[in-house]
Amino acid sequence: MRVREWMDRDTAPKGTFAFLDDGAKKDVRRALLKAVAIPGYQVPYGSREMPLARGWGTGGIQITLSMLLPDDVVKVIDQGCDGSVNAVNIKKFYERTARVKITTDTALASVIQTRHRIPEEKMTDRQILVLQVPYPEALREVEPSEAQTRRMHAEADYGRMWLHLYEDIVRFGEIRIAYRYPCTVNGRHVMDPSPIPRWDVPKLHMADTLFLFGAGRERRIYAVPPHTRVEPLEFDDHRFRVEDFSGKACARCGATDTFLDEILMPDGTRTHFCSDSGHCDKRRA
Amino acid sequence: MDALLRVHGITRRYGSGCPQCLDNTGAAAGTNRCDACGSVWACRDVSLELRAEEALGIVGESGSGKSTLVKLLHFDDAATSGYVELARMPALEGVDDLYAEGCDWSRDVLSMDRYRQRKARDASMGIVYQHPHLGLRMGVSAGGNVAERLLSAGWRSIAAMRARASELLERTEIPLSRMDEPPRNFSGGMQQRVQIAKALSGDPAILLLDEVTTGLDLSVQARVLDMIRTLREELRLSMLVVSHDLGVINLLCQRTMVMKNGQVVESGLTDQILQDPQHGYTQLLVASQLQ
Repeated sequence: MRVREWMDRDTAPKGTFAFLDDGAKKDVRRALLKAVAIPGYQVPYGSREMPLARGWGTGGIQITLSMLLPDDVVKVIDQGCDGSVNAVNIKKFYERTARVKITTDTALASVIQTRHRIPEEKMTDRQILVLQVPYPEALREVEPSEAQTRRMHAEADYGRMWLHLYEDIVRFGEIRIAYRYPCTVNGRHVMDPSPIPRWDVPKLHMADTLFLFGAGRERRIYAVPPHTRVEPLEFDDHRFRVEDFSGKACARCGATDTFLDEILMPDGTRTHFCSDSGHCDKRRA
Repeated sequence: MDALLRVHGITRRYGSGCPQCLDNTGAAAGTNRCDACGSVWACRDVSLELRAEEALGIVGESGSGKSTLVKLLHFDDAATSGYVELARMPALEGVDDLYAEGCDWSRDVLSMDRYRQRKARDASMGIVYQHPHLGLRMGVSAGGNVAERLLSAGWRSIAAMRARASELLERTEIPLSRMDEPPRNFSGGMQQRVQIAKALSGDPAILLLDEVTTGLDLSVQARVLDMIRTLREELRLSMLVVSHDLGVINLLCQRTMVMKNGQVVESGLTDQILQDPQHGYTQLLVASQLQ
């Protein structure tokens, strides 16, 4: 259903659909188009004020709001969890301003907004994943100046980033980056995949799904279109590795093939649960 | 001998420039700052040719434009005018659209985009700065410093890079036990030698040396100079040696250019210039040398 049709119906409330005014949506969509056209490139855009503080997912929210349609089904997760305060509040916000349906089932959602995880269930080409990004600049670790990092991206001058990884291997025997693992997108731009664990990085590579990244505070949007190469930085003799959960299983659903959170129980013992709560629930049902 | 690098009328001006600039600045005027508009002509209309396996000296007092010239040739700074060409060499064949078909000389390197400039530079040049902190990352290990250029050039094997780094550090007399220490722990002489190892990592045909021995004590100076001479012989390097020390120039260079206030005032064989200086300023330089 077209937004205009939906708004023209008598039953619909008159006024703005999905909170943002048309000008703001146009600005975000224009940035999204450019981001999709240049995979991994950070497109500046005019981040709007949202009814929650910058740094709480406003980048992802603006992307979601600017592309929501009335018949969309939305899932929002925070660190894999559908029930955390931030995720619940964002869902309520979408329900009120866009009247969209909400779900916790990855397979049923048309748009999924997430913070720090990619769902365990394989996503399809009919779905879009919106990631909230705190620090869009992958090179910030090695270069504090924005002018310099922009120049480095423009000239594909990534020696410093590689040197950072080399030093880690020389000093510690391995690369110490647990999340925000830098990746080369489409053989060109080095991109910050947002603070997802290493576990989720391979899911970006040659995926069927469109991934959109929004950093509200830093005013940047970037994207990984479907079927795009996303290669974590690695050396021939030091390959990229994901987290090792061998010998551990989820205490709720028994899964051994998911990303696990370690939980300290009241009696002092440690146990593991799936980080993706929707997936865990589905397996138990 | 064939030339490797040709520089034509390279100029660097800081400021807007004005019609009186040319009369107000330069060696004849005794200043590089124009009184009328305040522009500084750091380097003015310098042309040179660097030949294969040759060391060309550039000598002059502080502010004569020597270091600016080196920065321009290393693309650390953008020239106001002039152009630079590189001879066709195997290391540079990988840079897109650098040579026109059948030409022995490249197109003007200064007018290329920064990405290709950097590629051309990394494949053909190494630089050693006066201050080690300009050329080295003090917090990164000595081996990492050498590996940086290799990483930029697309090396992706830690073992191969470490082998190459140890080979170069050994050549420059850095004990391998200190390879994984950051240069900030090293003495000035050692830092300078790490810098030389780093400059050599990309197997350059041309080495730019900017006042490499200034600030080192005499015995360390002698060792560094000795090492540079050996490296030049072994690796068949071409060098551009910038120094205010005529002794260094005399030791390393066959040909010398004398700069003053941004301009070249005299050039020729080093022996000739030291024995029989023609320009008044060169005479002063030679006469002021400590015997």
